[in-house]
Amino acid sequence: MGMQSVLNRRWLPTFVWIIGLVLFWELASWFLLHVSEAPMAQSKIPYIHELIITFTEYGTTLFIEGRATFSNAAIGFLLGAVLGVTLAVLMSVSKWIEQLTFPYAVASQMIPILGLAPIVYGIMRDEQVARILIAGYITFFPVALNMLRGLRSVDTSALELMYSYAAKPWMIYWKLRFPAALPGLFSGLKIAAPLAVTGAILVELMGAQNGIGVIMLRNLYYGPSHNYMFWSTVIVGAFLGVMSYLIISLLERFLAPWQADFRTNGGDR
Amino acid sequence: MKRDTTCYLVVILLTNMTLTSETQEKGEISMTIVRTPEIQLDQVSMLYKTDTTEVLALKDVTVDIKQGEFVSLLGPSGCGKTTLLRIMADLIQPTNGEIKVAGETARTARLAQKYGIVFQSPVLYDWRKVKQNINLPLEMLGVKKAEREDRVDSLLELVGLEDFKDKYPWQLSGGMQQRVAIARALAMEPEILLMDEPFSALDEFSRERLNEELLSIWSKVGSTVVFVTHSIPESIFLSDRVFVLSPHPGRLSSIVDIPLPRPRTQGMRNSPEFFQLISDIRDSFEGV
Amino acid sequence: MEEKPVEKNMGWSDQAIVKTTSKYAKPVSKVSIDKQKSKYKHQLGKKLTQTLLPLIAGVIMIMLWEWQVFHSLFNLQTYQLPLPSTIVEAMIDNRAILLSYAGYTMSEAVLGMLFGSVLGFGFALTATAWPKWGKGGLVLIASLNAVPIVALAPIMNLWFGDGMGSRIAIVTIMTMAAMAINAHKGMSVVDPLALDLMHSYAAKKHEVFRYLRVANSLPFVFTALKINTTASMIGAIVGEFFFSSKGLGYMLSNSIKVAKMPLGWSCIVVAAIAGVVFYLVVERMEKIFLKWHSSQRI
Repeated sequence: MGMQSVLNRRWLPTFVWIIGLVLFWELASWFLLHVSEAPMAQSKIPYIHELIITFTEYGTTLFIEGRATFSNAAIGFLLGAVLGVTLAVLMSVSKWIEQLTFPYAVASQMIPILGLAPIVYGIMRDEQVARILIAGYITFFPVALNMLRGLRSVDTSALELMYSYAAKPWMIYWKLRFPAALPGLFSGLKIAAPLAVTGAILVELMGAQNGIGVIMLRNLYYGPSHNYMFWSTVIVGAFLGVMSYLIISLLERFLAPWQADFRTNGGDR
Repeated sequence: MKRDTTCYLVVILLTNMTLTSETQEKGEISMTIVRTPEIQLDQVSMLYKTDTTEVLALKDVTVDIKQGEFVSLLGPSGCGKTTLLRIMADLIQPTNGEIKVAGETARTARLAQKYGIVFQSPVLYDWRKVKQNINLPLEMLGVKKAEREDRVDSLLELVGLEDFKDKYPWQLSGGMQQRVAIARALAMEPEILLMDEPFSALDEFSRERLNEELLSIWSKVGSTVVFVTHSIPESIFLSDRVFVLSPHPGRLSSIVDIPLPRPRTQGMRNSPEFFQLISDIRDSFEGV
Repeated sequence: MEEKPVEKNMGWSDQAIVKTTSKYAKPVSKVSIDKQKSKYKHQLGKKLTQTLLPLIAGVIMIMLWEWQVFHSLFNLQTYQLPLPSTIVEAMIDNRAILLSYAGYTMSEAVLGMLFGSVLGFGFALTATAWPKWGKGGLVLIASLNAVPIVALAPIMNLWFGDGMGSRIAIVTIMTMAAMAINAHKGMSVVDPLALDLMHSYAAKKHEVFRYLRVANSLPFVFTALKINTTASMIGAIVGEFFFSSKGLGYMLSNSIKVAKMPLGWSCIVVAAIAGVVFYLVVERMEKIFLKWHSSQRI
């Protein structure tokens, strides 16, 4: 009963919205197909029940290709995250490194960094390496910047407390700066995770042997006869992006549960 | 000038003596209050410089605080009382003058982890539960885990927060948070407890209750306490001596002895002596 | 490092104290012009190293690149990683087409961002006005943020053809979510006392929005706009990779395909410059519109 009421209060509206959108979509699909008789109607807005049928038929293929994309994105993501955190720590330790790299890190936030993907692909020519590399370097900058912001967010009194304990520098990092930086790190990771997936799919679209992007492109070229399969790959791609975000959010709840956003009482948000 | 240096030599001799005696009978310090100098400031000045201005926050402050003594630094805002406390804590260095803590420099005392500090805000670490916050200094000292748990439990009992040990700081009221901060400061059994307006953010009722609790805790641990406040009654209620500071530039204007007997009780706040002391201190401000 | 106190000792010397105490009767809050000047000089020097250091590093990197140090280090050929000089050459040779393509891509980005931001703001308004159902919808819009754009591109292409429209649609979808989330936050974190004040004026719902919530959301709106400048450039460029016959993204992916690396690189350089300019323009607008806000005070 208690569980149910929580479900009602928090997720009912979202649930209703989803149902409403699905119904609207089905209606639009029917309208396009039978009323306005648009060309390629089912390619534009396919029936959702047809998509579900496709999913049950080709679930294994979709799963295998999705997994290939996701694991490559994940490896690159981890690599980029580790390097990003490392740079942030170096920047917070050394004024020199900070002055040297900070302007470039900021500029990287202003330029369309995904545009570099074809170039990296052009240099590497190896799909596996290119996927990992692009996922990694897309992850790198947001993580580095947000982690640095987190490391700097420590307030003076908290630092003074550490000084009053005559804490060694590594102690200050371990006991104070790292935990204080966790929320910042996670906001960087949450930005980066879907981007890493995007980068991996992008490389696959440019030419690769396996991955969800590859069958997406293939089914697109096959034309209207493969439109349900094409739409299924699009949905899997979107799902991978959302999944990556949810996984990081879940991790955050476990590793940094003290944050204001997670508080159940108080505040009217 | 010459007289100063000779005084100084005597002081060094004295403090060295107390240092040896102290190591022998550490346990009894709280019982038999050994009235020897613990903190000494000699002609301390502090000049703050910003881009365009220079502010003399402290001018020639000479003070000595005895071991096991409870003193207050009292004054209006801008009189440099917090600056003085921070100098004692080795968080900043004075631009002029000397500071000695137990005969050594303030830095040596800090590195020997002799200080417990309570700030104006609790400065609890958000990611640590109450018990983990109190545990923090013990971890830094490298105390064994089993001993840490015992110590944290007894500290929680001391500040009356046993039921809240598994809560996060944000789940506590301001007064409770400040009690956690006090427990944390006491965790490493500091020789010197420095408190920077710890109760100023609390309402009058909680403040008076915490004043009494602080005294009862202090009677058990017996540290030297330096307590910064801008409340005259609070300083009188708590202290053995009140150091009155006046602003522009910050300097020591008078030292008032508080002869009220211990243990202090809330009833004393209404006694004629208490009111007399309030008006005495107030007069010492008028004179500025 | 552990020995250092928290506040930096800025080299207060005894001399300075003597100087001030002797010069002025009251050494508090006195301005010395000499000092100011030297301070200014000092700051100028600091600023100079702050910009010069990364600049020099950048120049050295480019020089190492030009002298093929990286090539021999990573075993690369010049057709894989073109030299800076050839990139500049390609830029100069193709300056007319690069400029017109940059304009094309920029207009996709700007238009898409405008649509997306207006839509997102509209969603935020609705979600704040009818919180119970609005928040549920907002969750769905927020999830758009995590959808890879490359998955959107083919669909938008099906819907809107391979002209500008499909890229504008991609950018619209990409920028909508960030605006909706940020603006909603700005409208809902209103000071409760300000709401009480509105209540005491017997303000109607739309008046509360007009006088309070919208103004309160402005800083958040600009944060979203700044995030969206980069996102919109990425959306436009990546959208052009696959189904376009114009624009920087098209030229970039096409040049790589036909192994015209220097031209591909020059597209990136132009796109980066355009991205930075776009960002700076939005930042400038923020400065003008948010003069009252504390984040803009020095």
